[in-house]
Amino acid sequence: MKVIFKIALGIIAAIGGFLDIGDLVFTTQAGALFRYDLLWAVVLGVLGIGVYAEMSGRVAAVSGRPVFDVIRMRMGFGIGLVALIASTAINLLTVAAELGGIAIVLELLLDAPYSMFVVLAAPAIVIVVALLPFGGIERIFGYGGLMLFVVVATVFHQNPDWGDVARGFVPSLDSSALYLYFVVGVFAAALMPYEVHFYSSGAIEEGWTEQNLKENRLNAIFGYGVGAVLAVALVIVSGYLFHPVGVEPSDLGTVALPMQGAFGETGLLLALGGILFCVGGAAIDSSFAASYNLAQFLGWEWGRYQGPRKAPRFTASWLVFLAIGVAIAQSGINPVEITEYSVVFSVVALPLTYLPVLLIAGDRSFMSDYANGRIATFLGWIYFAVIVVLALAAVPLLLITNGGGG
Amino acid sequence: MSGTGRKRVRSLALGLLAAALLLTSSGCGDLSNDELNRGVESLSALAAQGQLVANGVARDATKATYARAMARTLGEEAEHEAEKLADATLEEPETADQRHAAVAVAGEISGLLSELQTSPGDERHGELIEKQLEEAGEKADAIVAQLSGDAP
Repeated sequence: MKVIFKIALGIIAAIGGFLDIGDLVFTTQAGALFRYDLLWAVVLGVLGIGVYAEMSGRVAAVSGRPVFDVIRMRMGFGIGLVALIASTAINLLTVAAELGGIAIVLELLLDAPYSMFVVLAAPAIVIVVALLPFGGIERIFGYGGLMLFVVVATVFHQNPDWGDVARGFVPSLDSSALYLYFVVGVFAAALMPYEVHFYSSGAIEEGWTEQNLKENRLNAIFGYGVGAVLAVALVIVSGYLFHPVGVEPSDLGTVALPMQGAFGETGLLLALGGILFCVGGAAIDSSFAASYNLAQFLGWEWGRYQGPRKAPRFTASWLVFLAIGVAIAQSGINPVEITEYSVVFSVVALPLTYLPVLLIAGDRSFMSDYANGRIATFLGWIYFAVIVVLALAAVPLLLITNGGGG
Repeated sequence: MSGTGRKRVRSLALGLLAAALLLTSSGCGDLSNDELNRGVESLSALAAQGQLVANGVARDATKATYARAMARTLGEEAEHEAEKLADATLEEPETADQRHAAVAVAGEISGLLSELQTSPGDERHGELIEKQLEEAGEKADAIVAQLSGDAP
């Protein structure tokens, strides 16, 4: 019973913690611009992160090695260094975007200056991390993120043409650069590398062993699966409300408008609360991911469970990454724009993150009986092929579409 | 991964970086008809978004802080768009009238959103602003139609 309860908690945490500012922005914009036409890309992206999160969690549980350790071991120092630099740059942009996201939501709720909240967000995160155990942090932000289920309720309140919605799950043949840019964006937002870096390191923080493999699989299937429901719901509510009137969501606050339309102030507050917990959780995840990567690459002692005394360089680097995130968020660039760039540039780094995971998870000499089976191998390679194609297309599409501006 | 494989990955990464730098460093010219069109379309989008915010105020279905902050952000965006349109040199001088009209609409939208920002708790005023933003959006749509040759 205790095990079932623990698994349920893990799944709920994964559901709530799935969406970050990148998912919120890209799914809302995708709905506004293309109505339901990109629902298939959302599902494709979520299946992808589910497949690779399961693999990275399994590798961590069986071998005790997190993803970045695996990257360096499998790809060597040179490629590992390239991956480290790329992922650190993307993680820093993500931290900045999530901190900016926290500040935007607080500004919307309290109407005080954005810059003040950016500065306050970082110490608030430090306090939360200092006071709560690792699992507690994940659960609080995960459960808080569940407030976003108001988006699902909004879908049913809007009662869209379900036939049109269903057609959105079938890939359409639109070949315009903007459409393809959003395919890349929606897919990449779901597969941001920090998610597996954090997930696998978190597995080690929580002391996972082979006995946790069932929990890992259920997290990957149900956690990300039900998290996908939220992303799909965001596309639908945005497509229903914004597409017909030509709204182009360029601010995080716009994401909450459909819920205000459906349920008034209560809907608005639930949406903003859910967004706050999601971006808050993602700020912690991405800042930790940056420190995990650096510490694992350089062979430092690492881990929240070790505490600052046993892992001083890891803790210091985490604080430095948060401070850099604050500086970027304070630069005056719209966090939504930072998000768009971090998501699209992350696609370029995706092969360097996911290939080593795929190779090591399928290596029987390393994983013995826990190596990838046929389905995981098939899905892993299919997704890797998709990732490579998107990685090649991402930067040209970003430039051709002027960052999605058309 | 073999040494050749690593070299290939490195070359690919360097190639992508070089292409990105080359393309981002290319200059941006005058305001083309398409860019003017996009600018006016974004005004229409801002008006539509403002309408939804104003609708929340009119129905007493929002939080004042949210309506105020959203109105401020959208108003700043409209003002920025007005400045961009006013400062740019037109590639096609015959679109000067449309540009002038677009700048005026941008100013109107910005002004309306500023009013909404001042009184986010006034339902009757919210209703009025919603209607006026709808009209401003229609003006922007009419300019887009003129620019794309779809106007009657």
